[in-house]
Amino acid sequence: MNKWFKQIGIAIALLFSVTAFAHDGAEHTHDGQATEGQIWSQLKAGAEGRTTSTSEFHAQPINTYDLRVLELRSDILAPALMAALFGMIIIFVLFIKVNGISKLHGGFSGKLVYRWSKFDVSIHWLGAIPCLLLILTGLTLLAGRFFFQPYIGEGLWSNLVYAAKQVHDIMAIPFMIGWALMTVLWAKNQLPKMYDIKWMMVVGGYINFGPFKGKHPDAGFANAGEKLWFWAFAVFGLVISASGMLLLFPNLFEPSRTLSLIALILHSVSAIIITAFSIVHIFMATVMSEGGMECMVSGYCDETWASQHHNLWFDEIKENGTLKYKE
Amino acid sequence: MATMKFLCDTKRCIECNGCVTACKNENDSALEWGIQRRRVVTINDGEKGEASISVACMHCSDAPCMAVCPANCFYKTEDGIVLHDKDTCIGCGYCLYACPFGAPQFPQGGAFGARGKMDKCTFCAGGPEENHSDAERQKYGANRVAEGKLPMCAELCATKSLLAGDAEIVSAIFRERVAYRGSKNAIWG
Ligand code: HEM
Ligand code: SF4
Ligand code: SF4
Repeated sequence: MNKWFKQIGIAIALLFSVTAFAHDGAEHTHDGQATEGQIWSQLKAGAEGRTTSTSEFHAQPINTYDLRVLELRSDILAPALMAALFGMIIIFVLFIKVNGISKLHGGFSGKLVYRWSKFDVSIHWLGAIPCLLLILTGLTLLAGRFFFQPYIGEGLWSNLVYAAKQVHDIMAIPFMIGWALMTVLWAKNQLPKMYDIKWMMVVGGYINFGPFKGKHPDAGFANAGEKLWFWAFAVFGLVISASGMLLLFPNLFEPSRTLSLIALILHSVSAIIITAFSIVHIFMATVMSEGGMECMVSGYCDETWASQHHNLWFDEIKENGTLKYKE
Repeated sequence: MATMKFLCDTKRCIECNGCVTACKNENDSALEWGIQRRRVVTINDGEKGEASISVACMHCSDAPCMAVCPANCFYKTEDGIVLHDKDTCIGCGYCLYACPFGAPQFPQGGAFGARGKMDKCTFCAGGPEENHSDAERQKYGANRVAEGKLPMCAELCATKSLLAGDAEIVSAIFRERVAYRGSKNAIWG
């Protein structure tokens, strides 16, 4: 870290002479002239001046910021995003190998219960497909040069990173629409309830050994795990969208360079969290919970699945008569 | 091996913009409309403490642009000059955020203000194309370093405020000047 400061320091010092030369008090200012030390400290403090250049930020000779953000990105965030994607996949595969999946007791009933509208299913995929592409392209932008580039040819690499940027920029738009609709329209079913604590204590009953075995905690329309994912997605989706907008439309928002760097960091941190949750979410829906995927295909779920995983919701719709079977 | 640096002596710079013009002229083939690789900034203009400084890429030893670029398209020549490959650049703008000197610039005009390929001062050392090829001229401009010459801006600086060359030589010249200029009471060393 100190190396950064030192090297930049040397570059800057070369510009304006070494400060050791600028002995305050010993050096006199004649006729309103500033000493080298004074000029240097003004420039270092980010002084702006007049210039004929119309390029962005050109009125300011030196912009200083905490250079540690560079190492934060390359040494911490990039490997963390790799871990959030590939590490989580490995962990989940191992977990399923040891633990097995959550089977439907008594198998599929064959009776399908209405759970999501066609509109709900479409906004889910409107957000989800771009989200997956954003994860893969974002990973290429953040970690590609460290983890992919060394193993592929130069030509392939430049095509890959170019495609990543183009796809990322385009997919950002449907993602944000999907995110906004899901967050607003689904929030009322995702409010925390007391029984969610018990669900968490037994990890949803998905663990097939030890004291957790065979547990079936109460859950409403959404269980505690889904709620946690929903709110993480709502919050970090907002952070990732806001920071992404700053980066995508600099002409519109005119962020300072430091703000752009902060946006980059917030964007990556949110990406790590969303990625880790996404992997868990995908595993739960596709392999861990037998019959779960059907919900986001047809909008209906098997009756056994409903009573096993969302008993309170199932009881409620039975009672108030909103239970609807697929014809 | 030399380590090339620029140095601008603010006590000599008279804000004539000769360096800016020299650069524009020398690298014209590569410069899109609105881009100027070098600029002169005057602080406290018309007031006490007025001072001018010529700024372009400083070819940093541990360059932030190089560290942040997602396409990893920067490289350092054996002379310590920081260059980049425009074919690999994706126009993300990270280098502009990270550069302390505002050196990276982008041609405007893409859809929704999307950035084009980044351009910056090359220390008149061209780019990753074959020396003096058409491709090099079109993308990066002049390659004076390959001819054993220094950047045009510093060569044409009328007051020799802007110096370019090996870091040790350049700073030795500057130290000598400071010593010579030193006011009567100045004690240094
Ligand atoms: C699931 C959602 C998303 C994920 C996982 C994601 C991930 C990432 C990652 C990891 C990076 C690289 C950061 C770095 O290099 O430090 C990045 C860059 C970027 N992201 Fe996202 N992002 C998402 C959504 C968005 C959205 C909604 C927008 C726009 C509103 C956006 C706009 C950008 C931009 C502009 C960049 C800079 C690179 C470029 O110009 O393409 N991202 N993203
Ligand atoms: S572009 Fe900026 S950060 Fe990169 S070497 Fe030049 S001055 Fe340093
Ligand atoms: S704009 Fe180009 S050179 Fe600058 S960081 Fe992005 S890819 Fe690298």
